[in-house]
Amino acid sequence: MKRQALRIASSGLLLLLNSTVLQAHDPIFGLGPHTLFKGGTEVHIGLDRNEAGNNKETISTLELAYGLTGNWTARIELPYEDRDDVPNGVSDMSVATKYRFWRRDSLGVQESSTAFLKVKPDTASNNRGSGTTDSILGLAYGYESRKWYRWAAVRYRFNGETSDNLDRGDKLLIDLVGGIRFKQSAYLEPDWVWMLELNGEKTSRSELSGNKIGDSGGTEWFLSPGLMWTLRNFAIKTGVQLPVASDLNGNQDESDYRARLEFEWHL
Amino acid sequence: MKTIAQFLTGIIMLWSSMVLSAGTQYDLRVDGLSCPFCAYGIEKKLKKTKGVDAVEIDLEQGVVVVNTEEGVKLSEAQFKQLVKDAGFTLRSMTEKPLP
Repeated sequence: MKRQALRIASSGLLLLLNSTVLQAHDPIFGLGPHTLFKGGTEVHIGLDRNEAGNNKETISTLELAYGLTGNWTARIELPYEDRDDVPNGVSDMSVATKYRFWRRDSLGVQESSTAFLKVKPDTASNNRGSGTTDSILGLAYGYESRKWYRWAAVRYRFNGETSDNLDRGDKLLIDLVGGIRFKQSAYLEPDWVWMLELNGEKTSRSELSGNKIGDSGGTEWFLSPGLMWTLRNFAIKTGVQLPVASDLNGNQDESDYRARLEFEWHL
Repeated sequence: MKTIAQFLTGIIMLWSSMVLSAGTQYDLRVDGLSCPFCAYGIEKKLKKTKGVDAVEIDLEQGVVVVNTEEGVKLSEAQFKQLVKDAGFTLRSMTEKPLP
């Protein structure tokens, strides 16, 4: 059990810890300010692949979102986990909400800021999931025009403690993103937006029964090219996170890459 | 002479009733329309509104054209709320009868 706990603390579950709420023209890996229109429903299917040394995992996620108002969205996420060390199956579900508290609209331009909260209770069985109730708080700002996009976001993840006294280190995530639409598409034309993200992650050391774990925590930075293709109410988004700087404590596998593919329908 | 006057009056009344009951075209100047995918919310909200016949969106001009069915009138306050619910801002509105 201790070995499993140490593994979780130092390397595994990378995607589950980092998955976030993607929406519309939000960044692929970072947090964006978009909310759904009032009464709107979103169906979202995501596929994540992560490799860090010998740790490999694939997460498929089904998400459903609903626009409570034009500025407030609620969401539920159900991931399916495929890792080497546990039986495949449904992992911890999450509930999340976004509230856009500021917006400035002008001709062809929208600037906005959003507060974000996500809670992931311990719902999975067979050692899947993190074994804890975790929550993420975040703030995002976005500038979107017909041609240029820019976003900035900060998130903080509070990790709970497992039943065997493992306290995974909390995590701070920072995102800076730029995007461009080379051709300004008309409403019913296919639309392409290219993005480049800089994603930083600083993780505190984990603790087991109050003792700090040497091979845990540290900092990683990723450069992440991404692409979004949309047609009316359907979107495909994809991107890859490539590590550009890493300062992990002790002996830990550095991330090799993280890839994401998303399909999204607005109904 | 009286018959001709009655005939002309009838024609004028018929014409005016046709004009008055024709649909209306509303041109909405909407701010915040930066991407086609996000603009879908406006189409969805407007098309769910009773009496709305057609919706066209021009992202470059920031204009949403809404045609309503015969006899259906929508107020600026209604459009303002619909656009707000879609996540955008109604800046101005003009209306004219459909030909």
